[in-house]
Amino acid sequence: MQGADENSFVEALLKSYPELVEEARVLRPKRVSILARREKAVRLAEILRDEYGFIHPISAGAVDYPKDMRIQVIYYLTNPSQRFILTLRVNLPRNDPKLPSMTRVWSAMEFHEREVMEMFGVEFEGHPNPSRLLLPPNWRGGYPLRKDFKGEGVEV
Amino acid sequence: MTEAQVEPEIMRISWGPQHPMSGQTRILIDVDGEVVHRLIADLGFTHRGIEKILENRTFLQGIIPIERMSMVDTANMGLGYVLAVEEALGIEPPERANWIRSMICEICRINSHLYAFGLQAESTGYFPAVFLWTTVDREVLLDLMERLTGARWSYNFIIPGGVMNDLPEGFQDKVKEAVNYLRGRFEQYWEAMVENATFEMRCKGVGVLKREEAIRLGATGPVLRGSGVDMDVRKDEPYAAYGDLEFKVVTEAEGDAMARLKVRYHEIEESLNIIEQVAGDIPGGPVRVKVPLFPRPKPGEAMSRVETARGELGVHIFTDGGMNPYRVKINSPTLRNMYVFERMAELGRILVADVPVILYSIDPWYLDADR
Repeated sequence: MQGADENSFVEALLKSYPELVEEARVLRPKRVSILARREKAVRLAEILRDEYGFIHPISAGAVDYPKDMRIQVIYYLTNPSQRFILTLRVNLPRNDPKLPSMTRVWSAMEFHEREVMEMFGVEFEGHPNPSRLLLPPNWRGGYPLRKDFKGEGVEV
Repeated sequence: MTEAQVEPEIMRISWGPQHPMSGQTRILIDVDGEVVHRLIADLGFTHRGIEKILENRTFLQGIIPIERMSMVDTANMGLGYVLAVEEALGIEPPERANWIRSMICEICRINSHLYAFGLQAESTGYFPAVFLWTTVDREVLLDLMERLTGARWSYNFIIPGGVMNDLPEGFQDKVKEAVNYLRGRFEQYWEAMVENATFEMRCKGVGVLKREEAIRLGATGPVLRGSGVDMDVRKDEPYAAYGDLEFKVVTEAEGDAMARLKVRYHEIEESLNIIEQVAGDIPGGPVRVKVPLFPRPKPGEAMSRVETARGELGVHIFTDGGMNPYRVKINSPTLRNMYVFERMAELGRILVADVPVILYSIDPWYLDADR
């Protein structure tokens, strides 16, 4: 049955670790979304990797919601046996966007977290190489992917 | 006589940013004598802010910047975005359009893999001839695309709701001709590369990526399949017409530069089969459904995945009910593979002369890593 893996995964996770998950749902077949609490995100990530087989990291990104004063960091993961996409999301307050780095769980998140860092100003605590990935070293224009960024004539 | 210096000394070599064989990027190589100590991929030289640009474009205008992410692999990039827009709008393209999409995507895949052949041959330093052959053979495919779309690169042919136009008259015969021509040329590549002793020496056992490492480091596309993992979005989550077409997922177990080349070689064969199937059995009917010029999808999100020539492309669109996307996140394949490349020096002992071979065996396309 289409979507059976996804539903059983969400049920099992909610049953075993209700305290770690704020919200878990199947968006559509092959897409699962989990919202984690900031302080428990790394613990949940370790469980996802070790117990549920999400050992294949894809990427990380973020979305800025200035109206709600939050930035949502999203990790994209997959599981080589079931092969649906899991988006692990963490909401951060916009005035204090700090999150423990997931590189200790999935080392390949290094590049993606660096990108989120320079584009959204999210600080990843414990990141092995917190330098810029794409923007030039002398960039002074702020965080380009935040909604209040004005892309008009920035001195570099 | 004085003794030669014996302490290990680390020297940093900067390769690029002026076009290290293909594209603009900089590879920093820390060497201890001839042995590579550390590799650093310094990206961002072609960063154009495509994700930000897309926030200021309507859904249809977005096709143009996104196809600029990869010139040789235009259609696959465009399709990833278009599928996400279609999901957000809740529209299904007609069946004939899906088959045409699959055909264009496979033509792009061959085009891109041929380019990768040329660069990998060039990276070993011995085979400029192969690069010229691939240039000639790609012409056949570019002519085909010109006949169909009017452009040799950057077609903007796949649009939400289907494709721009139906196949021109006699196009299927031209496709079959091109397929036959390429099949005839193909043995030559196998002989010049895989069976060539010099090429083998440069590629065999170089840049070995084990199965577990490939999964853990998030490799994708031919790099992942070259390490024996049979992940291919076309099979795992069939889109366009791939559910109806017959093809195999190619894997090689060795995980070295040669295995990645062989994966591309056999994938071209599979792509030629797919193109032939489409030219033979394409169903009739319309090629697009009507989509408003300025669509306004409901607030929410949509996420597509497609298998481009370099691996999995994911496009995650967030909508807020407006004419433009609220945010577009692009999960590009080369960025993932560049991280794998950076780790290569830690996975095994590599020499400085192997760096180009390893880099071009992962087939990087910096424009899609930088976006």
